[in-house]
Amino acid sequence: MLTVIALIFIVALVSPWIHKLFGNKSGWVLALLPFGSFLYLASWLPHITAGNVVQQSTPWVSMALFQVDLAFYLDGLSLMFGLIITGIGTFIVLYGSGYLSGDAYLSRFYCAVLLFMGSMLGVVLADNLISIFVFWELTSFTSFILIGFSHEQENSRKAALKALLVTGIGGLALLAGLVLMGFASGHWEVSALLNEGDIIRNHPHYLAILILVLAGAFTKSAQFPFSFWLPGAMAAPTPVSAYLHSATMVKAGVYLLARMNPVLGSTETWLILVGGFGLLTLLVSAWLALSFTDMKQILAYSTVMALGTMIMLIGLGTEMAMKGLAVYILSHAMYKGALFMVAGAVDHEAGTRDVLKLGGLRPLMPISFAAAALAAISMAGIPPLYGFIAKEIVYEAALEAPLWPVLVITLAVIANIAIVAASAIVVIRPFLGKKVETPKKAHEAPLTMWIGPLILAVLGVLFGVLPFLVDRSLMIPVASSVFGAPMDFYLSLWHGFNLPLVLSLLTLTGGILVYLVWDRLRESAPMKVYQSGFAMGPINGYEGLLAGLLGLAGWQTRTIQNGLMSNYLITILVTMLVAVGYTFITRSGLVWNHSFENMLLQEWALSIAILTSLGIILAFRNSRLTMVIGAGVVGFSLALIYLMHGAADLAMTQVLVETLTVILVVLVLIHVPKLIEVRSTTSRIRDAVVAVGAGVLMTLLILAVTAVPFDAFISEYYAEASYPLAHGRNIVNVILVDFRALDTMGEVVVVAIAGLAVYALIKMKRFGSPDDPETEGAAPDGTASKQGKSS
Amino acid sequence: MDTILPILAGTIFATGIYLLLRRSLILTIIGIILISNSVNLALFSLGRLSTENPPLIKAGSLEPLAPFANPLPQALILTAIVIGFGLLAFALALAYRSYRELGTVDQDELLKDAEDTSAAIVPKNDFKDGGDV
Amino acid sequence: MNGLLVLPVAIPLITATLALLFRKSSQLQRWIGVLGMVALLGAVLVLFRDVHNDGIQVLQLGNWAAPFGITLVADMLAMLMLGISAIMGVIIGIYSIFDIDRERERFGYYPLLHILIMGVNGSFLTGDIFNLYVWFEVMLIASFTLLALGNSKNQLQGALKYVFINLFSSLIFLFGVALLYGMTGTLNMADLAVRLPQVENTGLVTTVAMIFLVSFGIKSAIFPLFFWLPASYHTPPVAISAIFGGLLTKVGVYALIRVFTLLFTDASVHNDYLHHILLWVGGFTMVIGVLGAASHMEFRKILSFHIVSQIGYMIMGLAFNTAMGLMGAIFYVLHNILAKSNLFLISGIAQRLLGTFELKKMGGLYKHYPFLAVLFLISAFALAGFPPLSGFWAKLSLVKAGLSLELYVITGVAILVGLLTLFSMTKIWLTAFWGTVPEEVPGHFGKLPLFGAGKLYILVIPVMIIAGMIILVGLNAQPFLELCMTAAEQLLDTSVYIEAVLGPQ
Repeated sequence: MLTVIALIFIVALVSPWIHKLFGNKSGWVLALLPFGSFLYLASWLPHITAGNVVQQSTPWVSMALFQVDLAFYLDGLSLMFGLIITGIGTFIVLYGSGYLSGDAYLSRFYCAVLLFMGSMLGVVLADNLISIFVFWELTSFTSFILIGFSHEQENSRKAALKALLVTGIGGLALLAGLVLMGFASGHWEVSALLNEGDIIRNHPHYLAILILVLAGAFTKSAQFPFSFWLPGAMAAPTPVSAYLHSATMVKAGVYLLARMNPVLGSTETWLILVGGFGLLTLLVSAWLALSFTDMKQILAYSTVMALGTMIMLIGLGTEMAMKGLAVYILSHAMYKGALFMVAGAVDHEAGTRDVLKLGGLRPLMPISFAAAALAAISMAGIPPLYGFIAKEIVYEAALEAPLWPVLVITLAVIANIAIVAASAIVVIRPFLGKKVETPKKAHEAPLTMWIGPLILAVLGVLFGVLPFLVDRSLMIPVASSVFGAPMDFYLSLWHGFNLPLVLSLLTLTGGILVYLVWDRLRESAPMKVYQSGFAMGPINGYEGLLAGLLGLAGWQTRTIQNGLMSNYLITILVTMLVAVGYTFITRSGLVWNHSFENMLLQEWALSIAILTSLGIILAFRNSRLTMVIGAGVVGFSLALIYLMHGAADLAMTQVLVETLTVILVVLVLIHVPKLIEVRSTTSRIRDAVVAVGAGVLMTLLILAVTAVPFDAFISEYYAEASYPLAHGRNIVNVILVDFRALDTMGEVVVVAIAGLAVYALIKMKRFGSPDDPETEGAAPDGTASKQGKSS
Repeated sequence: MDTILPILAGTIFATGIYLLLRRSLILTIIGIILISNSVNLALFSLGRLSTENPPLIKAGSLEPLAPFANPLPQALILTAIVIGFGLLAFALALAYRSYRELGTVDQDELLKDAEDTSAAIVPKNDFKDGGDV
Repeated sequence: MNGLLVLPVAIPLITATLALLFRKSSQLQRWIGVLGMVALLGAVLVLFRDVHNDGIQVLQLGNWAAPFGITLVADMLAMLMLGISAIMGVIIGIYSIFDIDRERERFGYYPLLHILIMGVNGSFLTGDIFNLYVWFEVMLIASFTLLALGNSKNQLQGALKYVFINLFSSLIFLFGVALLYGMTGTLNMADLAVRLPQVENTGLVTTVAMIFLVSFGIKSAIFPLFFWLPASYHTPPVAISAIFGGLLTKVGVYALIRVFTLLFTDASVHNDYLHHILLWVGGFTMVIGVLGAASHMEFRKILSFHIVSQIGYMIMGLAFNTAMGLMGAIFYVLHNILAKSNLFLISGIAQRLLGTFELKKMGGLYKHYPFLAVLFLISAFALAGFPPLSGFWAKLSLVKAGLSLELYVITGVAILVGLLTLFSMTKIWLTAFWGTVPEEVPGHFGKLPLFGAGKLYILVIPVMIIAGMIILVGLNAQPFLELCMTAAEQLLDTSVYIEAVLGPQ
């Protein structure tokens, strides 16, 4: 399986060249790739039907503390998803080649869509928790590129960002959840976890793990209130939306929860959270679908509703719910894929997707109409299509809900009424009725664009009439793997005259009624409020959050990064003072065993000289020369102190350097005018407090350290070794040129570079200055002229 | 006597810090000079003080006369002084050039963080003489 | 004893000297520059083999046994840092050929660049705390000059802050060194590791550790000491921005990792207290940096603030103080140098095409330069920690380390900051790449090919090399993770380092 995924990635990366090679036919060539993968996966079908699973594993990183395998696990659930991804993927590649034919970015579409397909296949096939996350993030990334395909339009870019951020934050939560799960159980393979669900469910971190995983799944699968990114993502060209939203991207969350059901499921928390969110989503979004007139928006919200249904079924967790889930996923993938592609075809051929501006397309686009009609009938849950079977089982599952079955079934019926109406809208409005003038002269879409929807729609009929085609071979393994135990059932169109059938009739009647009053309903005030509340509400929430974040960021930056060096310095100083001072006082404490007893007269004199000059410096801040001289006196006094304590070389150097410093400063002073200090008293007091604090801290630290017993063993060694081994009588010099010669080399380098730097600072011309003819006017076309000259 | 040097170091340090925070770059630089001196003094007194003999080996003997001053801090301070001087010279040149370009030595007035910097690194015509790389 | 240890310092010095001698000839300087970097890389690789096969390598300079002379020590951490520094050297060497103008070359750009690398390498190799100070100063003076070279207003404004704040930090560092010497009488880091635990006043050692945290914290730009970085890193030419943003701050991080694993350990300081502080510092650094990036609309400023944010991750890994955490931190450092430098280099190419760094005036790069867009995507998503790129492994190991220590809050913060990182990367992407072509663009925009007459390929090839490495490290992470793990294990078991330097104890 790794080979298949790797192959998809590789072909994706070279697809621009394949496109160049085959031109118009490239769609057919590239479609062979998903089709081949489809056949490969299908070849495992008998094996899976027989109740087996396939496991393959390649180590990726294998270390004692760090083990990540590229492990794959094929059972009923992953096989069905794999087949959907590659099967619909085949049609999407073909469809895209027609839809985007002539588009300059067609090759980029192929590349992105194939990368996406590979990632998606990875998600559903991966066994290792970390590799699931790897592919999961790859789908976020590739869908970002796909959604932003029409990148020159602002709303496309915004929609892409929205999808990336929402699914991105979910992905990160998922990562934390998966890692916690790994730590909690000690297993990093889903296949191993499947039998160890109890460990996780009884672990103290169960709730945290559950919430994190749900955050990942709900954002990806657009559960309310995270659903808002999905309709926005309709800004992408139709092949992208058809693929992402019927078969793949949004199903990843469903897949993940279905996969995790045996591990995390069958607790009360699971039932309430998963089932509750699913129910809420399906109810809210079903009616939202009716508030739009854009075919793709209607389909988008009906997709959210379908996702809600799937999530709810997973939450219910009963056998019937698992059966319903299996059937519902398959039927939804088929009819929704077909409908999206037809909506795109209509848009492509007629120039609009707004159902109010369409009508009577049936004679012009007969094949598309046929596909759309069949798919919509399936979506509305009318026999004998597969969607009917799906809806019947969903109703049965709802009736058997472990908690509040009456509420569940009522809400499910109410939601499905809206879906029936929506199905009617997307077929009847554009295709039937009076012919309406469309922006473009409509005609039938090319073969590549109708073959996919047609096949999918026909399959819906086929599976509906002959459900045994797939139930034993695929549906049972799927339901069993989600349920976590073997199951057995068969599907049929006719279940006898029972409650679900009554409810179906009720739904159908209700749906037709709603369709008839749709125009008035859509324009009615409650619908407007509903739409702005539930569709716009989360979007506003998201945008408010983003704006708030940016506001906070801007405020923070203006406050602390305000460009004033004195502010930067004072912050650093206060931090130092607090951090070091606090640590010193609380951890070490003052150490004072010193006295002034042995002070010599000269030392008193020097100290007084230094203190006086410091006083002068502070007092005559506005007389710069006085200050420089004051600083010089401090330096010379230090030299005398050094001299007194047996450091003759040091004293000499100090005198020399101090003299040079004073000269340099005075040289600069000559050129730079005086600046009168005009800071406020408050800030001067603040600075003084900080300065005194820092000085006191330094003194106390030195005193505390000098109280520690000292071992001058290195200097003693130098004294012994200096003459016999290093042949020098001046130990300080020997240290500099021999024991620590590397320091001296560094020192020389510093001085040399400083010389170079001073030269550059004084001599070098400024960029962009008017007196520099070389840079003038070079700003915009520096490179252009470069090109001109060198070519 | 091992008490007064730490106090002196602290006082010089405090004065240096106060000057560091002034608006004039020249004062800031004098602040750095003082801080540098105070740290050297700190290093000197942390090597412990002994009065009398410099760490020199008289002709004819193999070791210096004990007690001799600790030579290692002296060597370290020598290195630090020279390095400090190099950096100081740079800082002064920078202040001078900044005054020439920006027209002031006031930290507050013209030292806002640079905003648009594109002009600063205008690509210069590198190959105009037809030179090849 | 391994004499090769001197090469990472000697080769740049020789190269710098040669470049200075041929200051008048741009042509020769460029060749010397690139060749010097390649020679450095070769030497580092040879040395790397020794460290990998035989463990920590040591050179006692002048044959004075430690702790009396200066010791150069190459453990795995130092080697990894040297390796990345040499690689960046080659990359920047090539990029500079096109990016750096005649005027800067005449005033010593190449000598400065090589001295900078020399200072960086010296800091990685030295086993002596005062010598580390000297290397820091070498690095500083070179970086000061590179930053100001060109004397434009913006550069000077940035340089002033950079210079004064870093000068102050160096002096604090020197004071810290003095205190350590005053307590133990030694400067050799291995010897310090032996003697610091013998100091009775543990609280005093902890205080000195705080001084080092502040000083190195300023250099590595942690919260709340980072201000100089976003004020200056976006002002010099791109090649310099890239090496500063990629490599230079990480030297501070390296120094933090070194002293907080070797010198300040459970035996010598109140370690829980310090690591608690490190954890908070790491968290705030991440958040404040990423928010700063979110509030800017200038390509290189966004990148500069991100440097700050990502330093936070490294500090966090250090604060975890486990093998996994340190491995994550080291891996993060290496990955970040690659990704961050590459983004700076890409910003330079974008600026050459569009004439500006202001995102509002940029656009159309995806349309006209899809290859550049792919290179950007690789680096940007690696930075945000997307699999299967290098950043993913860094993020994953830190998340694993944090969760296994049950430090949920900080791990959660780290994860969220990852999303915000993604947000500001997409901000660049949505405007400069996906955005429509702005009305005013230089005449050559869209016509000048990446590979062709404009010689832009001199800039693009280094970017390609790094992007390739990001992918390689991402897809084949095992050997790199293992190396980082070896480095982390060496750090946690200080006795290996001590014995290598001082001999059997």
